[in-house]
This record gives sequence, structure tokens and C-alpha cells, in this order.
Amino acid sequence: MTFFLDQLLNGISLGALYALIAVGYTVVYGIVQLINFAHGEVFMIGAFGALSTWIVLGTVTGGSTAWWNLPLMLVGGMVVAVLTAVLMERFAYRPLRNAPRLAPLITAIGISIFLQEFVRLFFGEIPGFPDAKAAIPFPQIDFFTGDPVNVGGVLVHRGNFFVIGALIVCWAFLWWFVNRTATGRAMQAVSQDPDTSRLMGIDVDRIIVVAFAVGAALAAVAGVAHGLRYGNIDFRMGFLAGLKAFTAAVLGGIGNINGAVVGGLTLGVVEAMATAFMPGQFGGPSWKDVWAFVLLILILVFRPQGLVGAKVVDRA
Amino acid sequence: MRIPTIFTLELQKRHHRIGRLLALAGGLVFAVSAYLPWAYASGALDDMSYLGGPSALQFLGLALGLILAICATMGLIEPWAGAKGVAPALLKVSKRVGWTRGAKVTGIGMLAYIGVVLLAIVIELGGLVTVEWGGWVALAAAVVGLIGTRLITPGRPPSLERLRTPGWVGILAIALTLLGALLLAAYALNQVDGGSFVVILTFAGVLAAFILRSGLGGWLSSISQRHRTVLVFAAFAVAFLFPFTQNGSDANMSIATQVLIFAATAVGLNIVVGLAGLLDLGYIAFLGAGAFTAATMSQSAFATIGWKPPFIVVMLIAGLISATLGLIIGSPTLRVSGDYLAIVTLAFGEIFRISMSNLDGRDGPDLVHGSSGIPAIPNLNLFGFDFGAVHTVAGIPLGRFSNYFFLMLLIMAVIVLVFTRLNHSRIGRGWVAIREDEKAAEAMGVNVFGLKLLAFAGGAFLAGLAGAVKAHVDQSVTPDQYIFLESAFLLAAVVLGGMGTVMGVILGAVLLKLVPEKLRFVNEYRMLLFGLLLVVMMRVRPEGMIPNQRRVLEFHSDDEELIDEIEEDLPYEFAEES
Repeated sequence: MTFFLDQLLNGISLGALYALIAVGYTVVYGIVQLINFAHGEVFMIGAFGALSTWIVLGTVTGGSTAWWNLPLMLVGGMVVAVLTAVLMERFAYRPLRNAPRLAPLITAIGISIFLQEFVRLFFGEIPGFPDAKAAIPFPQIDFFTGDPVNVGGVLVHRGNFFVIGALIVCWAFLWWFVNRTATGRAMQAVSQDPDTSRLMGIDVDRIIVVAFAVGAALAAVAGVAHGLRYGNIDFRMGFLAGLKAFTAAVLGGIGNINGAVVGGLTLGVVEAMATAFMPGQFGGPSWKDVWAFVLLILILVFRPQGLVGAKVVDRA
Repeated sequence: MRIPTIFTLELQKRHHRIGRLLALAGGLVFAVSAYLPWAYASGALDDMSYLGGPSALQFLGLALGLILAICATMGLIEPWAGAKGVAPALLKVSKRVGWTRGAKVTGIGMLAYIGVVLLAIVIELGGLVTVEWGGWVALAAAVVGLIGTRLITPGRPPSLERLRTPGWVGILAIALTLLGALLLAAYALNQVDGGSFVVILTFAGVLAAFILRSGLGGWLSSISQRHRTVLVFAAFAVAFLFPFTQNGSDANMSIATQVLIFAATAVGLNIVVGLAGLLDLGYIAFLGAGAFTAATMSQSAFATIGWKPPFIVVMLIAGLISATLGLIIGSPTLRVSGDYLAIVTLAFGEIFRISMSNLDGRDGPDLVHGSSGIPAIPNLNLFGFDFGAVHTVAGIPLGRFSNYFFLMLLIMAVIVLVFTRLNHSRIGRGWVAIREDEKAAEAMGVNVFGLKLLAFAGGAFLAGLAGAVKAHVDQSVTPDQYIFLESAFLLAAVVLGGMGTVMGVILGAVLLKLVPEKLRFVNEYRMLLFGLLLVVMMRVRPEGMIPNQRRVLEFHSDDEELIDEIEEDLPYEFAEES
């Protein structure tokens, strides 16, 4: 039973990570019907931004890992990630807004490769920064790392507190932002009907930028969570995480924020359970990605509107 | 996208004569400067330090200068000859050539050429002082030439393709063009120095731009359409002759064989993406399936299947297994399309790769030895012809890679044949209809689902064939050769070259594989540049280098002028030619 609870918690925290990234896919898709394939890279850049912030802080504090580093790292990661996403939208996606669907997808692959290589080649060139060609250890912030905590007989990895807490806070913030602020309402309006929104005086371009920025900020949080959970980050981590998060977004019904959260948690739990309980040779960690992708294909084929699913129009 | 310019039409109308003279002077001085020393020492590029003895690369510069001079002169001669009535037959031809457009693009190209040369000299010898005075003369001439060409009024569009050409002239032109391409390619490939390779590549780019802008390209494409069989046979003849230009060296042949394998796979992908319009991001899996099949049935001591049929059979089985996978991955297209289909295929590609590395006996049945793959695959031996041995033909030794090159050439011929025949058939028309408008196609009675499956299975079959050969060329097959990035590369070859055309895709594949191989010094940055290239290409020329005319319309639906131009050019309603 303890083992089961262990795995459940493990799955939920993994799912929370996916959910934080998945929101970025879903928000952008809901507004411009674009699969921002490079979003996984924004997540990776967020993690590197947070790491850079910590290194820069370290020149003053001498590499302190006290808890107050964390909020600063989050802000640093968010700034870098948001900047990346906004630039990407402005210079790569915006000119292609009315192009055939193939064009933005290929652009996204291009951006994705470019960002990965950019980090790999140039991160280590900054004086004082570690070489990014291999995995880099992520700062072990006090309290969120270290020995697992015993909660009622279940050993909880400390990084899990952060990611689950972050998901709850971000979810609440998103709800407030989308439903209670003028910008959030404008986002809803644009996602329903961009042309009419424009007639109503909404600056659609600005709303699209906001959508990219919100997604990027959450991805940066996920990047920090990833670093705390796994202890290191590398320039390749965005590809697989992004693909999984996209699976989560589709699972919940793409374009639907609550769906992204539900989808992320479901995918995380299913993956953890499949790893732990799938019998025989085809179970275990080496097959878990295969099962996640099989799940993705099955959902896309049989229930493209996802679990929670708003009605999704024909995506031709 | 209009670039703002200080060379307004008014300015050009006032000063176009001066412009022509400046262009002429720039071109001539540039040509003469080839005889001057460009570099201080002999260490950079080929030896450019002599006075009076141009190096090979300087001769290329000479050619560019002469082209510009001729273009500029023709604009001055034409009105004079027209008034005097000199050589009216030649004048008729000359009037159809886009001299002005050619001059304008050569003006830019000349500056780019000397820029690249000087940059290479500065980098290789170290510092600006290493550029000799001749180099500065050439640079000044290029700048003068560029200003001159900018001052010329925009010329008339070329109309050489409407010229009546005798058959033998056309065939001769095709033969000469291809021969020139072969010599240039062989020359470029034999450069050990990366800088020289870039310079030659720049020259080829400028030359191609000149040919296209001056209307020679249009003329060549119109005669090659008339002599299609001649063109195809000549192209294969040239490719066949290529190993004989290598003096027995196998280094370039290894690259050439890899390029051919890549190109063959890209043409297969082109059926799926270019013709049927289905985006496939996991296509490398089909090549992988072919390679793994061939490896497990090969004579290798590590092969896991006891049955070892002859290679022809293995190749067919590899193709069929790939085609079966194609059917499986194609079946969701009944319900999924667009972006979602792209993601399904991407997921499939990842499933294939991970599954292969898991089939290692620990996490699954031991079929391919997991991530270490199947090594020591022996060379082929077909009908007593040993692919591993060196065969001497007409005194020129042809090594192992040359043998595989010939085999791949044969397979390439089959693939191109299949592609073009399909493209022109009822099936090809059906694919295009599906790509343009699926619902309308279905309403017209096109079997949409069947044709989509056929596209997937057919493309996968061809990739499987190429994969079977690849297993023997590489001598080992491992799962990490078939990562997502490779699929992205294949897709990029199709997109950069031009979707739906054979020539474009082959050109794209050659450039994408060849350039990183020859440019070891940019190897570190090649992925960075590649990513950037994809983004830029989608912005400035989403239809590719050699586009399918219909595609151009699709990507530039708001450019009325261009649409009129193209629709006028389309010889018949369904022009789908490369």
C-alpha cells in the first residue's frame, strides 16, 4: 500500500510538472490555433534562466542555497522565458499568421533546434557559467531538496512539495487572471472569435503576446521544478518534456486550461503506475515513454477533443 | 516584402546610362583584377598571391566580372544595333534575354563573392593586412559595379522560354549544362580546404541566380520539358560518371553515397508531404525499419534471424515491412489530419526508436541487441559482384563506396521513375486533389482514405529499400541513427528544395548533407545554422528553392502580380512539373 501511495504521489508530482508546461500549449492554441512546438524549449530556457540567476546571485552571496534564493530564481527564469517566447512570437510566428499550416510547424521545429543549440554552444561562453554541453547540476535549494520527508508513513521527495504547490498557486492565479481581469476576459473573447473581438476594440496582437508570455512564465516555473526534482538540467530536456506536455494538453482537450491540468495529472499518474505495475518485459522505465506515446496516438485518433474537452473544430 | 531603397525609379530614369557605364567598368576591372595578387601569402584558399597568374578561384571571379560586363554592354548595344539594323536575327534573341535583371543580380553576387574570398583570406592568414592591393581593387570594382547595376532602370521580364529552339541546340544545351555542373561539383568536392569550398559554393549560387534572373533558367526548363527523357538520361549519365572523376579516392564517394541514400529517402517523403500534403515527422523510422530488417537477415555474425535469403529478397522484405508500418501509421489519417497527424507521426517515430533500443534481451526479446545495434554487417555480393572489392574500370580504380554509389543510383532511378509516373497518373492527381481540398476531392469521387494509405505505404516502401542498402553501406545499424532530428532533416530537404518536385528535393538533400560534411569548421554550428535556416526560409521563400508552381500560388495567395505571372506561365491547367 505504501508503495502504491509512493507511486501515486510520484505520478502526481510528475503530472504537475507536465501540467505546468501543458498550460502553455493550451493557452496559445486556444487563441491562435497554433501548436507552439518550441514551447518545450521555453521550458528548458526557463530552467537555464533560473540557474543563471542563482549563479549571478552567488557572486554576491557566495553560492548560498537558502530558501530566499528560490523566488529570485523563479523571477529570473520567468523573465528569460517570457522574453524568449515574446521574441519568438514577434519574429517567427507573427509574420506567418495567415500562412498555410505547414509553415508555422516547420518554423517551430527550426526555433526548437536553434534554441537548443544556442544554449548548448553559448551558455558556457559567459564568464563564470558552466559548460552546457553536458548536464549541469541544479542548485540544491534548502528545504526543497535533501532527504525525503516522512508523511504518515509515505516518504515524500522534497522537490514534490514545490511542484505540487506551484501547480496549485499557478492554477489559482490563472483562474483569477482569465476570469477576473480585463486582459483575461479579452483572451477569452479572442479565443472565441478574433474578428469580432477586434471590432470590440481588443488589440488581438497584444492578447496573443500575453498568451505566449503566460505560457512561458508557467513553463519557467516548471523548469525550476524540474531542476529541483531531478537535480540537474541539460539543453535537451525540452524535447521530451515538451512532447509529453503536449500529450497532456491533448489528453485534457487542447485549448482548455483546466483540461491541461487534468490531462497533465492523468498522464503523470498513468506513467508512474505503468512504470511500477506493468507486468512482464514490456513494463518498467524503459517502456514508459512508449506507452505515453501510444496513449497520445490513441487519444488523437479516438477522442481528439480530449477528456475534459471543449468542442474542438476540425483541425485540417 | 519591399526593401526600402535610395535608388528610386526617378533616379534610375535620370542616370541609367551612367549606371550601365559604371556596371561595365566595374565588371571589366573586376575581371582584370583576377590577374592581380589578392592575398599576401600563398596559404589562403588556392594560391592568390601572383601578379599575372590567376588561381582557379580567381578565374571564377573573372567569369563573374565578364558576365556583368556583357550584361551591361548588351543594354547599350541593343538600341544602337536596333537603329542601325545590325544582325537582326541575333537581336531578336538578345531582346528576349533579361540582361538587366541578370546584371542586377550579378552585381550583388560579385560583391558577395569578393566579400567571401576576402573574409576567407583574412581568417586563414590572420588580419586585414594579408589582403593584397589586388583584392582591394576587386572589392572597389565590385562596389562600383553594384552601384552601377542599381542605377539601371528595371528591365523587361525575360521571355527566352518562348523562343523557338532547334532540337539539337536544346539537347546540346542540356548536355553542356549538366557537364558544367558535374565539373563544378567534382572540383568543389575535391577541395580539402573549407574556405575554398564556401567560395565555390558562393560562385555556384551567384551563377544559378544569374541563370534564373536572366531568363536562361526559363529557357533551360522549357527545353528540358521538351526533351524530358534526354534530361533524365543525361542527369543519370552525369551522376554515373561522377565516380570516375575521383581518381580512385573513396573519401568523396562515401559522402556521395550517403547523400544519395538521404536523397532517395527524401524523394520518398516527398510523396507523402509534397504530393499528398500529409505532414510526416517520423519518416526516418521507415528508413530505420528497412535497415534493421536488412541487418537482422544479413550474414553478420550478430544477426538474430537464422534465415539469410539473397539480398534482392531481403530488400523486398525490408520494403514490405516498412510499407506495413506505413499502413499502420497511415491508418489514423482516416480520423486525424493537419497538425494532429504531424504529432501522431512524430510519436510513432519516437516509439520506433525507443522500442528498437529496448529490444535488447533484457527489456524485450533480443531482436536487435538494443542500443548497441547490429555491427559487422558484411559487404554485399550480388551475382558474383563483390561490393567490398576495388574494381578497376578503364584504368580508374573504383572503391567500395563507388560500388554502393552505383547501386544507390540504380535505386534512385527506380524511385524517381515511380515518383514521376505516380505524379502523372490518376493516383497523383488524386493526391494533389486531397492536398488542395480534401472535402471537395471526396465529393468528386476520389478515394481519399485509400489514396492517403497508398501515399504512406508507397513512401515507406521506398524508404525501406534505401534503408536495406544503408545497413550494408554503414556496416552497422543502431537505434540512435534514427532520431527525430533526422526526420526533421528529411523534412527540411523536402521543404527547402521545393515540395512536390524531384529536382528540388534532390538539390535540397544534396545541400543539407554535403555542406556539413565539407564544412568541418562550421560543424559545431551547423545545427544552429540549420534551425535558423528553417525559420528564415519559411519567412522569405516558403515554397522552396525549386518550387512547384502550384505551391507558389498557395504560399503567396495575396500577391496578385505574382499570381498573374505564374498563371500565364503555366502551360496547362494541371502543371505539376519540376
